[in-house]
Amino acid sequence: MSDREIQDSVIRALADAPYRASPAWRGLALADPTRLERFARFLARHFYHERLVHFFKYSRALARVTGRHPEAVLQGGGFDALLPKAVLGSRDTARGVAALAVHHVHSASASRAIPYLSDLLEYEQAMMIVEAGPRVWRDDGAEQGAGSGERSLPETVQGTVLLDLAYDLPAVLPKLLQPWTEVPPASPRRVKLLVARSAHGRVTVARADAAVASVVELADGRKTLPELAREAGLRTADLEATLAGLADLGAVRFGTGS
Amino acid sequence: MSGISVGTFYNPHLGAELAQADGIDHLAMADPPAPHDPHWPAIKQRYTLLLHDYLGQLSEPLDERSIARARSLAELYRTPWVAEHFQCLHTEDGRYNLNYVFPPLYTEEFLQRFVTNAKALQVRLDQPLVMENIPGFFDVKASQLPEPVWLRRFFEATGAGFLLDLPHVWLEAHYRAVKPAVWLAEFPLERVVELHVAGVVQDDDLQGPWIAPAAPSDEMLDFLALAVSRCPRAQAVTFDAFSPSLTLEVLLSSVERIRAAL
Repeated sequence: MSDREIQDSVIRALADAPYRASPAWRGLALADPTRLERFARFLARHFYHERLVHFFKYSRALARVTGRHPEAVLQGGGFDALLPKAVLGSRDTARGVAALAVHHVHSASASRAIPYLSDLLEYEQAMMIVEAGPRVWRDDGAEQGAGSGERSLPETVQGTVLLDLAYDLPAVLPKLLQPWTEVPPASPRRVKLLVARSAHGRVTVARADAAVASVVELADGRKTLPELAREAGLRTADLEATLAGLADLGAVRFGTGS
Repeated sequence: MSGISVGTFYNPHLGAELAQADGIDHLAMADPPAPHDPHWPAIKQRYTLLLHDYLGQLSEPLDERSIARARSLAELYRTPWVAEHFQCLHTEDGRYNLNYVFPPLYTEEFLQRFVTNAKALQVRLDQPLVMENIPGFFDVKASQLPEPVWLRRFFEATGAGFLLDLPHVWLEAHYRAVKPAVWLAEFPLERVVELHVAGVVQDDDLQGPWIAPAAPSDEMLDFLALAVSRCPRAQAVTFDAFSPSLTLEVLLSSVERIRAAL
């Protein structure tokens, strides 16, 4: 085992609670288990504090109306209950922590005061979950995506989300972060939003029109471009433009087939 | 002691006040300015800015994207030096990430990695590189060298400057049950260019003190005065606090008390 592999084991033990409890890790006997466990719990609370503050910033801005700060869940029993199975950065743990925050902030009285609160929480939860997952930290070679010479068989990247909302959230979100006395209203209007993440972990939100929505739903890595164009009801030129935009966002990648 | 620049971190939520504050010589930049930060032009014009962002972990070579970003930020800030940390916080395959500073194993292999990659970065920068020590909450049995020896050898091999984080030294001394001044004396203080100082608070998970964006105690300020007296090349002391929870009062009073302690 190289020193780098040992370091990776320590990092994994701190990030991955099931691994930390496994004979594989314990057999290495690399660190005091009590100290390691304390530091791992500290890291977990820090990790999700940063994410809740960032991804639930609009709910935080509404806390004086809801009376609930999303990050307060990190001091509760629900979060402690997640810790034995928590894997920092995993989609499952992000889903679990985000659900705690949604449950905490949502209430009947808050929903009456903020009609779009359910949409907002769905949006914030989606952002936090989409951000999770392994990422590319270093560019070692040619990137996949738009512009690849041999691209074919487009596939929606795992974790990409399409939100179907009842309120026009994009119009109200910036206002929530500005000074306000009355809760800024959102227009009741159906809006589709695409939430995607680049390989480097950058989360992007974009309004999705019907073409984007159908391509995201249909691109499964098996359909060829002509098949996809036919099923989505798009001209080839329109499909290619849509795919290029989706690849830039990290929502679609191109396989080379089998 | 005079001639040492005393500053803090740029906290954007305090941007309006910082743009007009007195008694602050420099601001360290932990993040790039937000695209529509209304205070950024005044901040940039008024202060010496120190690049203190996450550039990458030097256990691996920085890729072109990271180097270009570092160069771009250094140019934007006109920073006198570029800071990075002795850290290795994500696995090589990118699958696990602690999102928090975490030290490497203090081994010959990691020393060689950090020396090689730091030298490669130095060649690409137009400013000197300084490296900050990172505290360990527990020892890893695979480490081969004491941290101060490992750091000394790194600085000798690279010629990089030392960004001495004093609370980190204080915490390590606390958890090793040794006197902070005794532990401090082990470090290559002749290499120090900048010092960080801040408070520590009790953490429930750790069941002991840890770094926090809090005012330094009188004990920590005494420790700072001692450290500065032993760092002949020190040019700057920075109140190391960067958090939306930081208040203007704590920031300004801490900088004032740091200046008085020097």
